[in-house]
Amino acid sequence: MSTPEQLDPTTWRAAPQPEVAAPGAWSFPEPVVSTLANGIELVCFDLPGQHVVSAHLVLDAPLNGEDPDVEGVATIAARTLDEGTRNHPGEEFAELLETEGAGFGIEVSLSGLQAVLDVPASHLEQAFALFSEAVTQPEISDADVARHVQIRLAQIEQASANSAQLASTAFRESVFDPASRASRMSGGEAASVARVDGAAARRFHAEHLGPAGASLVLAGDFGGTNPHDLAQRWFGDWANDAQVRTPQEQAAPGARRHVVLHRPGAVQADVRYGGFGIDRLDPRWPAASVATYAMGGAFLSRLNAVLREEKGYTYGVRMSLTPLRSAGSFAIGGSFRTDVVADSVRLARELADVSGPEGRPFTAEEVADAVTYTSGISPLRYATADGVADQAAVNRLVGLGDDYVTRNLAELRQVTPEAATEAYTSLVDVGALTLVVVGDADVIADPLRELGFDDLEVVRTEG
Amino acid sequence: MSGVTSGPAAYPIHQHVLDNGLRVLVSPDHGAPVVAVNLWYDVGSRDEEPGRTGFAHLFEHVMFQGSANVASGAHIGLLQSAGASVNATTWFDRTNYFETLPVGGLDLALWLEADRMGSLLDALTEDNLNTQREVVKEEKRQRYDNVPYGDVMQRLNSLTFPAEHPYGHTTIGSMADLDAASLADAHTFFRKHYLPNNAVLSVVGDVEVGDALQRVERYFRALRSGEVPAHPAQDPLGPLSGTEREETSADVPAEAVYLAWRLPARGTRAFDALDLFFGVLGHGQTSRLHRSLVRDAEVAESAGAASTGLIGGNSFGYAYARARGGESLAAVEEALVDQVDRLAAEGPTETELRRAKAQYERHWLHELSRVDSRADALGEYATLEGDPELVNTRTAQVEAVTPDDVAAAVTEWFGSDRRATLSYRKAAA
Repeated sequence: MSTPEQLDPTTWRAAPQPEVAAPGAWSFPEPVVSTLANGIELVCFDLPGQHVVSAHLVLDAPLNGEDPDVEGVATIAARTLDEGTRNHPGEEFAELLETEGAGFGIEVSLSGLQAVLDVPASHLEQAFALFSEAVTQPEISDADVARHVQIRLAQIEQASANSAQLASTAFRESVFDPASRASRMSGGEAASVARVDGAAARRFHAEHLGPAGASLVLAGDFGGTNPHDLAQRWFGDWANDAQVRTPQEQAAPGARRHVVLHRPGAVQADVRYGGFGIDRLDPRWPAASVATYAMGGAFLSRLNAVLREEKGYTYGVRMSLTPLRSAGSFAIGGSFRTDVVADSVRLARELADVSGPEGRPFTAEEVADAVTYTSGISPLRYATADGVADQAAVNRLVGLGDDYVTRNLAELRQVTPEAATEAYTSLVDVGALTLVVVGDADVIADPLRELGFDDLEVVRTEG
Repeated sequence: MSGVTSGPAAYPIHQHVLDNGLRVLVSPDHGAPVVAVNLWYDVGSRDEEPGRTGFAHLFEHVMFQGSANVASGAHIGLLQSAGASVNATTWFDRTNYFETLPVGGLDLALWLEADRMGSLLDALTEDNLNTQREVVKEEKRQRYDNVPYGDVMQRLNSLTFPAEHPYGHTTIGSMADLDAASLADAHTFFRKHYLPNNAVLSVVGDVEVGDALQRVERYFRALRSGEVPAHPAQDPLGPLSGTEREETSADVPAEAVYLAWRLPARGTRAFDALDLFFGVLGHGQTSRLHRSLVRDAEVAESAGAASTGLIGGNSFGYAYARARGGESLAAVEEALVDQVDRLAAEGPTETELRRAKAQYERHWLHELSRVDSRADALGEYATLEGDPELVNTRTAQVEAVTPDDVAAAVTEWFGSDRRATLSYRKAAA
């Protein structure tokens, strides 16, 4: 058999590695903001060439406003919005909407609800009429609610059968105080979802969805339609005297925990290793996001370079910050082959400890890479109507300000290696992190205890 | 009222072929100061040798392990440091590599792609191959082996195509075959398939045509062409005959039933007609399956259908329903079969067909609205159907499908004895 060298009489001569020219100036598009007759703020982005218009109605209905007895009711109510309206009952509504080539969706997050419409610009008027109906005059029938409750319960079962989802759910339960809504799934846990009925869902809609505090984000090529007039026609008269507004929750940390959720015979284990964190308005945010990228965001991040590229223990490991409106969490996460889980956690703990005796502070090169990466991907991410509208809606939902992206990029460029290390160490104390592992406890629990996780619990569920 | 709108003007597409056979597509778009670079190699899992399933995908990982002038892993590292999003995918009919970045990094992206096309084997070592083999095995465990229903696609594939058929195995392949892959295999595979004249390079974004072509020439012209390998010889197969059944069980939260069909190749009126048929059957809230099984009879927690277009003689499609708690799988299957047979017999209504076309149009416009996915679509249509201009005419093609086209295709491919069935049961505790 020939050796590879003999097989390869290459004559390849590459040009020298080219320089990268400095990127041109870029900033997030500036919206035109106006106010509809009922106080809804219209945030409008005219984006020529974007033929699919994206609309997000951002509603000030945080999930801590749900009746705790029927948590999940916001999700159920939102999911039934397009199951029929007073004007177009039952299936007729969705048929009309889909025939316009439109897509309707809802997004539920701790800080509030969003109703989302994507539609080719030429069908804007007809689709907006239906969009408005879904939000302001839905049927929310008993039968639709009962069905969505069953579907949601099945989803919860599917999620708990999925190792990665179970790990994330269990991690959230530990990182946040049980009194915080953030400690539980946005769509509600099984017990409270099962108590949701038609009356509860209609009550939630009647009391929590209204124009007060709402924003409507519109992005795309409107093709001659005046977007303010369009929005005024379909949303400007919406009134709800019964609307109750709930103050946004300040999430609180939970007790640290080390736990294995047993999945007999699992070929991999999902690991979440992290703690209580910060939100995007925290002064440490830009520096912490730079540090997190260097630790576990880049392909050649400290964690991925070792655990994937050097060891082959995983398809990928990440460290990420998950901000809420106030506070948040951070975690190192990945799925590792069962026989190397403990060694993966050991290495992750060593690498994550940048301030210990063996620790390496972040370098100027790492900071520069993080900044060019984040700046570089922004023009692409925000080049489409839905990209712009998604972000603009989040800016409204969690109160970041319409100029958040541009402001954040400017702040990132000011981050020094010292600031990155300082922000990171103020968040990440490797001796105080929560560890959640979903995998075969019979194989992995003892090796984890040997790493010093003496108080490791093993949870074995029946079934 | 028309289902299809007066869409956007056609995207400009400039086609050029280098002396070594590399097809180059340039499409200027000055909407944002970014550029997408996308390279489609005309090799996928259908081109794998027997006993080497999963190799095309393993090789995709190897392509990031460095080349004559690039260190292992540095391909992504250098690009991310220039502000790029970077990735690659492998599928039955392709392997594509792509990066999108601020336009000042165009030279870097082209240089990196050319360096690995020209000199990958200079840097490839047994160690690199072994580490990526482990990474790919972890990918298989994470995406297929350790998730509920993770083996469904592989099972449907096996029901739809004979084992030795190019589409008879999935892209991820088998653990045993991944273990068997050698360094010599990697050398042979690279030499055979990774040729400039077996690839399409698309450059879409804030560039001028002449300037972009000059840059492409600078980095790629020294590459040597080779003999383009033929795809495995495979005549198109007819519809499935008989009603093969398979039953499996695993620790899943709900029982499910799947029906699978063999379909005609993409790029044909018949496939477009069946794609719309699958949309009516199982895509979205107003689809037949959702309405009847989830909404009306309430026997399923979810139900749907999808088709996968492939170029090598045949495509495939499937429909499924996941039983709601307490429902017998037999009853769910009966309801599923009933809906499929009913729609096949009566055909979609005019409104249903119009709706499916309107939804197709929105997805397609949305797909083309980003420079990165537009570059990918150009590479796709140039590689598989020989004509990148198809991206500008797809909606018209789909709009032109008539109810008669649907009826004819359904008659040929959809008889109730022309499908396979997979029952997925809960393992006894």
